[in-house]
Amino acid sequence: MPKSDLAQEANAEIQQAGEVDLLVGISGAVNAEALQQQASALLDGLRKSSGVSRIMIAYPESGKVEAANSDLVPYPLAASGPVNFPWVVSSIALKAICSLALDLNAKVCVALQADLLMLSAERVQMLTGPVLEKQCDLVLPVYPSRKFGGLLNHSILAPLVRALYGQRVRYPLAQDIGCSPGMFQKLSVPVRSREHGDGALMWPSVVAAISNYKTCQVNVDAHHSTQTEGLELSAVLANVAGAAFTEMETYAPYWQRVRGSHPTATSGNIDQQITGGEPVDAKPLIDSFILGSRNLQEVWGLVLPPATLLELRKLARSAPESFRMPDELWARIVYDFALAYRLRTINRGHLMGALTPLYLGWVASYVQEMAARSPLAAEQRFEQLARTYEEAKPYLVSRWRWPDRFNP
Amino acid sequence: MAGSVQSLEEEKAMWQQVEESLRGSMGRVFTKIATLLPGILAFVLVLIIFLVIAWLAAMIVRRVLIAVRFDEHTISGASTLTEWTPAYTPTILVTRIVFWSFVTVGVLVGVSAFEAASAESGLSAYVFAYLPRVIGAAVLLFFGTVIGRFLSRSVLISAVNMNLQYARLLAAGVRWLVFVLTAAMVLDHLAIGGEIVDLAFGILFGGIVLALALAVGLGSRDLVSRSLEREANRPVESQVEEKLHHF
Repeated sequence: MPKSDLAQEANAEIQQAGEVDLLVGISGAVNAEALQQQASALLDGLRKSSGVSRIMIAYPESGKVEAANSDLVPYPLAASGPVNFPWVVSSIALKAICSLALDLNAKVCVALQADLLMLSAERVQMLTGPVLEKQCDLVLPVYPSRKFGGLLNHSILAPLVRALYGQRVRYPLAQDIGCSPGMFQKLSVPVRSREHGDGALMWPSVVAAISNYKTCQVNVDAHHSTQTEGLELSAVLANVAGAAFTEMETYAPYWQRVRGSHPTATSGNIDQQITGGEPVDAKPLIDSFILGSRNLQEVWGLVLPPATLLELRKLARSAPESFRMPDELWARIVYDFALAYRLRTINRGHLMGALTPLYLGWVASYVQEMAARSPLAAEQRFEQLARTYEEAKPYLVSRWRWPDRFNP
Repeated sequence: MAGSVQSLEEEKAMWQQVEESLRGSMGRVFTKIATLLPGILAFVLVLIIFLVIAWLAAMIVRRVLIAVRFDEHTISGASTLTEWTPAYTPTILVTRIVFWSFVTVGVLVGVSAFEAASAESGLSAYVFAYLPRVIGAAVLLFFGTVIGRFLSRSVLISAVNMNLQYARLLAAGVRWLVFVLTAAMVLDHLAIGGEIVDLAFGILFGGIVLALALAVGLGSRDLVSRSLEREANRPVESQVEEKLHHF
């Protein structure tokens, strides 16, 4: 079906729909059969249990889903660029879903990942309940994870968002969210920075913090599959961490004034959210770090201060069994890279590529430390790392405000 | 007796001729130098004056650009040049262009002054005709250096992230390939060396590529065989990989 026909059809359906109480949006290309099957069950379940009557499910228009069900409405999904990172597609879809929610005057909007794992009445209610009953503006899920899972999130994204914006959220880049009308109005607005295009990441937790909106978390028992299969780690790191650094640049006047962080109200079944995992061989990770240390000193020297470089050289010479990267060192490295990203000290692609061996060094250190320890110890470890990020924030603020004084 | 007197006289006449021709050629040389000296002095004087003017102009331009925050406005817009030459801010680049522009003008004026003072004709016409080639060569050299450095660093970082032990060698090879290519293009543009440059470039470029191919091919024999072994044992390896998830 031609694109222009789809857009007209979508507009016509939206106008026909009128206002809705709940809009459930699927962020990404979806299996048509599975959507049709689950949609009917979802709608019946929600109407019976929550009393919400006017419900619509929005899916990306691709001409593949036959809208036999009048409660299904397509929305236009823009292209995400040459590399289809799943979280980039979700961000683009989230903006479109929120715009649609605004057009439909929805009372609450829920965006779900395209694997439809969260598309059940019980799970959708977990995301809508805090919005409708507790006046939360943004509801983020807390997924169960393994001791050695989601390391990029636990080492960089979550502690960075906590230290900068004062929000203690487990998954700041979650792709299943619930939002209030005020929140989806904010999320439907294009991002300020000129550098952001359709491939920009949406950070709902950051937008909520900037706008002083209430954020809640809910424990969900949904195990999404790994999204980075087939993708190179350096490309993933560059995309995700780079997006976080771009957000830092955009909201610098805000986060420089934030002091400390506040806990986020969390509901749902609080069973252990971090489970165990099989021990991981740290040697390949240490070897990658040492290779980086041997070959990238010149590049790291443009970004990191001499004291940090010295510590990294000592770490590279240490015995594999005693390989430990201190939290303070890691936090300062992330902050120095964020600053270099802003100042364009070197090409941004090169900068993020040079971060990869350092990240692998942190992973090696974490994996060795947590090998024989419990999942509870892993939770405490992440908490300790997050607090270190907060304590090192004055270092970041000084360097951000006076970069020339601290040039390496 | 008469024969030896004659030969003495002939010898004396010969040395007189030698003395006269030496005196004559020295006289011509000194006359030439005396003719050229005012021109050379004029050239040096003009060059010094224009060096001072260039330094002053560069200083004024730098202060003005810093005052209007030229770097911030330029970096927030098109950032391609700063991405490729991050060591040179836009202010530094503009300042250097201004400086060298004044120096170039000074050289041209100096050549004209030399020509006028020394009554040598055709020199400034030749220099002016050669100037576009020099500018083109300078531009080629600048971009070649920038591209060489950028590509070298890209290869280095990518190779390190791919866990290649010879990352540095690859990066150096890429950098030298681009530099050699740039040098050949510059010399060709300046019409220096002719076919010798083409031949030397071909031999050098081909030699570097061959050396790299041998180094990578011979040096990575073990790596390739280990990689093939790993591929054959893939099902076991993939289970180990799944224990760790980054995202």
